[in-house]
Amino acid sequence: MHRIVIALGLLLPAHLTAQALDIAVERRFAEVAHLRVGDTVWVAPTADAPEHLARVAAIIEPAADPATIMRRDYRVRLHLPDLAALLGQPDRVDRFAVALAPGIGIDSTVDRLNRVAFGYEAFPSSAIASQSSTTFLVVSRFHRAIAFISVLASAIFLLCLMVLKVEARRQDVAVLRFIGISRRTIFRSLMIESTLIAVAGALVGTLLAAAASGAVNWYYQGSFSTSLVFSLLQGRTVLFAILLSIVLGLAAGALASWRLVRTDPLVLWRRAG
Amino acid sequence: MNWLWAVRDLLRHPVRSLLALLGIAVASALLLDMVLLSGGIERSFEKLLLSRGYQVRVSPKGTLPFDSEASFGSARSILEQIRATPGVVQAGPILGASLFARRDTLLVPLVAYGIDPTAQGIYVVEEGGDLPPGDTTHVLLGAPAARRLGARLGDSVTLVGRLDPQVVAPARSVRLAVRGIVHFLYDARDQPSIAVTWPLLQGIEGSRGADRASVMVVRVADEADTGTVVRQLRRELPTLGINTVGDLVAKFRERLAYFRQLSFILGSIALVVTVLLVGTLLAITVNERIGEIATMRAIGISRAAVVRQVIVQGMTLVVPGGVLGIVLGLGAARWLDAILTSFPGLPAAISFFVAEPRQLLVAALTLLVTGLVAGILPAWRAASAPIAATLRSDAT
Repeated sequence: MHRIVIALGLLLPAHLTAQALDIAVERRFAEVAHLRVGDTVWVAPTADAPEHLARVAAIIEPAADPATIMRRDYRVRLHLPDLAALLGQPDRVDRFAVALAPGIGIDSTVDRLNRVAFGYEAFPSSAIASQSSTTFLVVSRFHRAIAFISVLASAIFLLCLMVLKVEARRQDVAVLRFIGISRRTIFRSLMIESTLIAVAGALVGTLLAAAASGAVNWYYQGSFSTSLVFSLLQGRTVLFAILLSIVLGLAAGALASWRLVRTDPLVLWRRAG
Repeated sequence: MNWLWAVRDLLRHPVRSLLALLGIAVASALLLDMVLLSGGIERSFEKLLLSRGYQVRVSPKGTLPFDSEASFGSARSILEQIRATPGVVQAGPILGASLFARRDTLLVPLVAYGIDPTAQGIYVVEEGGDLPPGDTTHVLLGAPAARRLGARLGDSVTLVGRLDPQVVAPARSVRLAVRGIVHFLYDARDQPSIAVTWPLLQGIEGSRGADRASVMVVRVADEADTGTVVRQLRRELPTLGINTVGDLVAKFRERLAYFRQLSFILGSIALVVTVLLVGTLLAITVNERIGEIATMRAIGISRAAVVRQVIVQGMTLVVPGGVLGIVLGLGAARWLDAILTSFPGLPAAISFFVAEPRQLLVAALTLLVTGLVAGILPAWRAASAPIAATLRSDAT
């Protein structure tokens, strides 16, 4: 990718604009610089280089690219010979994209090109994709690590709340035991209550997550003026979160309920009082 | 007395106290990590930029140093102009280029820096010697380049300039002796870099390198004001980007806004979790002991004393939980740092999590304030409970 410098705000006679280079500018840049199709600008490869007149021939929306989004660079496209001439490097390119005929082996073609090549190196598209996705793999690993810590904190929080919730029923359990209700029945009813709380909590949590995900996308899509999706609430993620909440809730509820029904009702009554 | 009462009460419910303590510890660890992440990389980057004592960088306008292949021309006259600016004690050019080295029949791609050995801010010599000024026969190798070339001090290395597929020949090749093994400060891990003198690299690189430089590093005198020097350079060199370390850090910060925002969001969540945990536990404790608290109030214990007791009970959870959290957080920071510093192209010397006393203090104070905030509502409820009605209700 080459950098070019653009100067704005010109009204020129027709005979000058007829000699202008045609350029396509990115929509974000067009909005910032108030450019429309047909406007003219000066372009130069560097701030101190001679300028060339250019006409905005199109306003484009480049494919959203997460690799470059943080740079906030504006993109301008020129015809290849125009850019080469502007840079003072005629007949040079950075790279070629090669489409192979059906049935032609990619690896064997790459090997053949590299054997006969001098001054360039051929790569299969998959290798380039793998290399350029390294950044996202690192971010993904970081997100997983943060998610692990968050899940750990949430799990402990959930366990603590369920223990507190069940312990708050000490007096009720003592009374039920006094009137002859069996431990099993009490345990079952406490577990049903824990399940309901865990399911309700998981559903509310899912709604909160959906709202948070929407807010994240709204904020970052606006901030970067892009259609990229920053937060994706997938079905399997939701399922995992709900299952984890329910399992943890049930485990905590079972643990606390078991401790409660094992305790002598007189002791429970005394503690509750 | 307050502490004893609080500790005894927590020990009455060991399971829930232990769970609350663990919850606070994990939330504190997350909070600490997010405090470290929020400004760690900026401090790390600033430290790196200042490590060689150059406070200003001059680069093509609109770019950061070595952020693209952009370079600028008329470099010698610009260098003279910079050196003549009042307040500037030293300035040096750096040209970055891609070169190849021959190893047997192979061409090994390298990143080459053309420098002035008397004014460079990109490497420190680890073995051997530095290049003499104006040298045309020696090269310095970074450890990764030395490994790839199988070269050691005193060995010869053949560098090959731009390759031209049309004539199937390199623009120029030159044989140089390895004078030193150096550590390149801004290089990514395993980046195979070499350094030669600036004019030599311009010559090897070919036509594109003629009187061009990628960056100039500028050292301002201690007694001079960097801001004044920068303003003057900007007036004199309007077509170039003149950036102080502060400017570069600000631009870097803009690019890494994601991590700052993430740390803010996760840090806030950690605080909310802590408030909820401590607040819930204290509310239940107050609820359970409301009769006891009403009795204390009835025998003359002041509201302030009751509030203090509840707050102290909150602190008995937050303080040990926080201490445990700091230990966990420092361990987790090393783990997270190892993940993030594997970003491709990131200077190996950069760290995302920089643990300094100030950051630890910020995290600890934030946690203490959080504990206090969490205790306010239950404490207020305990202190404002109507004595007679509570005692009557407790007795029935």
